[in-house]
Amino acid sequence: MPRYGMVIDLDRCSGCQACVVACKVENNVPFCSPKESSQGQEIAWIQVLPSHEGEFPNVRARYMPVLCMHCEKPPCVPVCPTGATYRSEATGLVGQVYTRCIGCRFCAVACPYTVRYFNWYTPHWPKEMDERLSPDVSVRMRNTMEKCSFCHHRLLKARDQAAFDGRKLKDGDYVTACQEACPTKAISFGDLDDSQSRVASLSRSHRAFRLREDLGTEPKVYYLNEGDWDVPDER
Amino acid sequence: MSPTNVESDAPRFDNVLRIDLRLLAAAVPLVVLVLIAVPLYLIQITRGVGLIAGLNRPTYWGLDVVNCVFFLGVGAGGVIISSLVHAFGIRQLKVVGRIAELMSISSAVMAMASLFANLCWPTRMIYIIKYPHPTSPIFWDMTNLSTYLMVSLVYGYLGTRADLVRVIQKKPRYAWLYRLLSLGYTNLSPEARSRDQRILRVLGAIVLVGEVAEQTISAWLFGLHKARPGWYGGMIAPLFLVLATISALAVLTTSIVVTRRLIRLRIDDDVIRKLGKFVFFLIPLLGYLLFVELFTVLYSAEPAKLNVYHAMMFGHYAPMFWGHLTLGLIFPFFLLMVVLLRVSRGMLWSVGIVLLHFLAIAAAWLHFPVPYPALWHGLPVWAVYAVLWLLGLALLSVCAYAKMGEDVRIGLATLLVGAGVFAARWNLIIPSMGEYSYLPFVFPGYTPTVGEILVIVGVYALGGLIYITCVTLLPLVESEEAEEVKEVEEAPVQTEEAEFDINAYIH
Repeated sequence: MPRYGMVIDLDRCSGCQACVVACKVENNVPFCSPKESSQGQEIAWIQVLPSHEGEFPNVRARYMPVLCMHCEKPPCVPVCPTGATYRSEATGLVGQVYTRCIGCRFCAVACPYTVRYFNWYTPHWPKEMDERLSPDVSVRMRNTMEKCSFCHHRLLKARDQAAFDGRKLKDGDYVTACQEACPTKAISFGDLDDSQSRVASLSRSHRAFRLREDLGTEPKVYYLNEGDWDVPDER
Repeated sequence: MSPTNVESDAPRFDNVLRIDLRLLAAAVPLVVLVLIAVPLYLIQITRGVGLIAGLNRPTYWGLDVVNCVFFLGVGAGGVIISSLVHAFGIRQLKVVGRIAELMSISSAVMAMASLFANLCWPTRMIYIIKYPHPTSPIFWDMTNLSTYLMVSLVYGYLGTRADLVRVIQKKPRYAWLYRLLSLGYTNLSPEARSRDQRILRVLGAIVLVGEVAEQTISAWLFGLHKARPGWYGGMIAPLFLVLATISALAVLTTSIVVTRRLIRLRIDDDVIRKLGKFVFFLIPLLGYLLFVELFTVLYSAEPAKLNVYHAMMFGHYAPMFWGHLTLGLIFPFFLLMVVLLRVSRGMLWSVGIVLLHFLAIAAAWLHFPVPYPALWHGLPVWAVYAVLWLLGLALLSVCAYAKMGEDVRIGLATLLVGAGVFAARWNLIIPSMGEYSYLPFVFPGYTPTVGEILVIVGVYALGGLIYITCVTLLPLVESEEAEEVKEVEEAPVQTEEAEFDINAYIH
């Protein structure tokens, strides 16, 4: 069974936010106004967190893209009253059934990474964008929860293509939009259980760590960083 | 029952179907408030919650969840009170048993309404049954809430139907209404009555256990999540139970005081004093539990929890915390002390001065940022504390010397305690979401919007309307005390154990 995961090399990340834009376009993530954004009601399946160290002029900026960790033991799954969010045994992905979500937001409250997003409004796009929505991904309705799906629709396409070609799915067939867009190739994606895959070898690197491993959620997004990465507390 | 008997207990049905102008005057604004809330709620569910509510990431739950949990507590406490009356035969509370039931039914409706305001897809609620997921506390909360609404309806029905039949005899013009309400029941024989009492007794014992479970499950909506350090822990369930009991007693006392002022009700001062005493003894218990929780966090200084508590005590939510401590715990405690224990006013003054003095020192030591600093701008710190101190003294003097009825004083104290419990629930629930994240996100704080508050006010108004309707329609004080005394006299002498022998009820 494949177990899809991601490795993000923080030493390569330049904070350009290409992954954020690519994700928004790929997954029909709705736009939001500056007002909504300032109220904390925006949706961004992947978000680049900046962290600044030191005082001017000796400043060092670091960036950390944060997305759904697709935990092996996701805290969001058991709390859902309808099973709208689930962990797929076949792929290890944590998915969301939008039409079954009752909008209670329990999963978001239970997520320690705060990477679940709620549709506070009926989604809307500028007119030009409205006609160029991706047909592969459903548009989510108001009052439902959504989050990164690791571009699940691309897995379906890759599987179809592999079947059409009469071969098995191989490393590199299934890529996510953020991975594709990253100019510094900081993001790698693939099957963590396939020992030959790039992600599997990177995830075993001495530079690898995961966010809040002490919580026991076993995230499948690994970060690479030389030296210590203290999650900075801005408070 | 002969008609003469009906006449003899006529004053007990005094409130039934009496259209009181003051009640009517109270109902009109309530209707208006409900009518304001309905369109706002409809916008929420058809256009998106964000248009009305100030909720955000990560404060996904706000006022409506706090309100829901508060009313679950009030309702649960109400059922506990009425089951104490029925299952354990606490006679002193018998006169308020039915009002407690009414309160718990309207609270259940209000909790349900708040929950619906929070869950934004009422049409999809069926999925909780269709695709049940028993690992979710919400599944159990819904199960519990619906069971508890049903049980309190059954409970209320069984306890009231004999009285309803009496009302049919007394008010033949409206017999159809009461025949409907009593579901066609007509049996007034003593056997039927004692059977009803037996059922109520067993049901009361079951309900008591059920309510403890209910509050525990409500607490587990929060306490089970390692993602939220302020919630996570075992303390929250017992805390919720105490909060539920004290809030139910407080709301019950307040509503009896208000109802008694509005309509004639055969509940005397003594009952109100008893209820006030219960609240009085529960305030230190609540304070103790909150202190233990607070002290553990402050002493161990674990950063995750400390952040939440810091925000709660000195940050965005500080007015709620200090407001609860002073107006919800300390002030009503003293007020009740004056009324119930008949403490001399001089004594109270001296105790109050010493206590306020220590509070001021503690505040100075903790560098307590005074709420609304703009108001105090330019004043030296000692002056601010002096002003606060004098304000506290003035409040104490008011509670010691103001001319008002004893029941009004108790009602005022319990109202403050009830509001304080709401603030306590807020403090337990809200800061944990927005004030600590495991990642360096920068989040806006949460402040309820006007729309959100109006929806909740509408929910309150709905509860008030249900209460007023019940007060107008139903006999509020059980009319069977006299009979019961007779029954006890006639019955062979029973020992205490025999009274609680469950086998006697099974056969």
